[in-house]
Amino acid sequence: MDNNAIIHTSGLTKYYGKQRGMVDVSLDVRRGEVFGYLGPNGAGKTTTIRTLLNLIRPTRGIATIFGMDIQRKGLEVRRHTGYLPGELKLYDNLTGAEMLRYLGHLSGGVDWARVENLATRLDCDLLPPIRSLSHGNRQKIGLIQAFMNTPDLLILDEPTIGLDPLMQQEFYRLVSETKGQGRTVFLSSHIMPEVERICDRVAIIREGRLVTVEDIDNLKARSIRRLEIHFAGPVSQEKFTEISGVKDVSVHDSVLTCTVVGELDALVKAASQARVVNIISHEPSLEEIFLDYYNEEESIAE
Amino acid sequence: MLSSIFLKTLRDRRRSLLFWGVCFVLIAVMVVSLYPLIESFSAIQEYMELFPEEFLALFTGGMNDFTSPEGYLHSELFFLIFPLLILVFAIGFGSNAVAGEEEQGTLDLLLSNPIPRWRLVLEKFVAMVFSIMLLTLLFWGTLAISGHVVDMGLSLARLAAVCFSAALLGVTFGAVALAVGCARGRRGLSMSTAGALVGYSYLLNTMAPLIDWLEPFQILSPFYYYIGADPLTNGLNGTHVAVLVGLTTVFVAVAIASFWKRDLAV
Repeated sequence: MDNNAIIHTSGLTKYYGKQRGMVDVSLDVRRGEVFGYLGPNGAGKTTTIRTLLNLIRPTRGIATIFGMDIQRKGLEVRRHTGYLPGELKLYDNLTGAEMLRYLGHLSGGVDWARVENLATRLDCDLLPPIRSLSHGNRQKIGLIQAFMNTPDLLILDEPTIGLDPLMQQEFYRLVSETKGQGRTVFLSSHIMPEVERICDRVAIIREGRLVTVEDIDNLKARSIRRLEIHFAGPVSQEKFTEISGVKDVSVHDSVLTCTVVGELDALVKAASQARVVNIISHEPSLEEIFLDYYNEEESIAE
Repeated sequence: MLSSIFLKTLRDRRRSLLFWGVCFVLIAVMVVSLYPLIESFSAIQEYMELFPEEFLALFTGGMNDFTSPEGYLHSELFFLIFPLLILVFAIGFGSNAVAGEEEQGTLDLLLSNPIPRWRLVLEKFVAMVFSIMLLTLLFWGTLAISGHVVDMGLSLARLAAVCFSAALLGVTFGAVALAVGCARGRRGLSMSTAGALVGYSYLLNTMAPLIDWLEPFQILSPFYYYIGADPLTNGLNGTHVAVLVGLTTVFVAVAIASFWKRDLAV
């Protein structure tokens, strides 16, 4: 176990009856990092998160946060943890301000100036009743309550769902400030570019099991992209097929499509010898990333 | 009103409390203001005696002195109407307390705060007891005042004794609803379980005196500990109060224990 681990899990497993939630999840989240928990819907991300918060009990395995057992010292753990539920439900009969005051009291007092500051930054009106708010505005209230106590650890389940792009940017800034203050963020996502952008490390979970835990830089180095390059005139296929890391090259008239692993440099330089009209990059879906991993595992096995 | 779970729970109930409060005041005033009519109409006693004992047992609580203030209030209010209304309120409250939040999905956020689960259950329970006692106090006060106006000559202490017993019965079944809600997280299940138990208990208590083989089982009915010792005539019976308090304690303990280790629904 990493001494700097804020979250530590070992063999953490949860079955709902016979249905698997997560199986043998072992990971360490270090102090001061932004840790991404990436997986498609239904992979078991929410199960892990709700287990960490002691809302559900693991079937077996252990987990500690701040070095304290999540079940026996759950109260102490939650005192220093901010949480955004994945399926956020608020008190519809309260206003945003009332809801935040209530949660503030329950968490032992909140600095209201901090709440107002967050509300301004996220452009969130706290006065209307929550029942009249859009999904995005509810999500903002959820984010405010997670951040308002400046907790040492933030556990955020799909935090950017429902936020418009501008607010997503503001959220990314909040996360990087939090990291800058030496606090830790654990967030789940099913969007690769988002994780690439704000996380230091990422764990990938699929069908309840961890596929890998990696530095984001490694992941980027091996990330695959499908590229489409539109040229001003016809180009020949040969000079592209020789570039290392470039696969599945095909050329139709003036349009080249290919798959690139890792850096784009060599390809871009080769392409620049002709006149380029447009480059279209398709981010890989999570399934493609998984396929990449599985192919690699198989090739190692052989 | 938002500084604790207890106060927030009362706040959420404020409209319901107002509604029930008005309801109880109206019922008390209505029933009491009819009393002078009944008292002066002595033939009603003879009329009532025409009914078979079994009928009276089921619908008036076996009270055969229908025209005395106590007999009248017993058969018109305390035998059925008042405890029934208190029970509806209590079961609604108890089943909504934890299971309501769970079904609504707000429990995740609530319990991600540094709040032990037992405290959530206990604060909700205390809010329920407080609300029931508040409504009962209002009912008692209205009866006392309107009874004074029509010169019923009621003992306020005895009146308080029967009102309190009914409140205690409500708390007991409210705790049943709370326990089922805590154990299973379903409001409907909690309401129907507690409701069915009320039905059986009521029937057991009223039928037992009429059927020989059933009689020994009357002591199993919480209704017996509410009205069996006739607190309106005799004041509170310490043992009976203790039984209802004991039952409530058990149900609250079951609620906390079953909620303690359970997975919360999303």
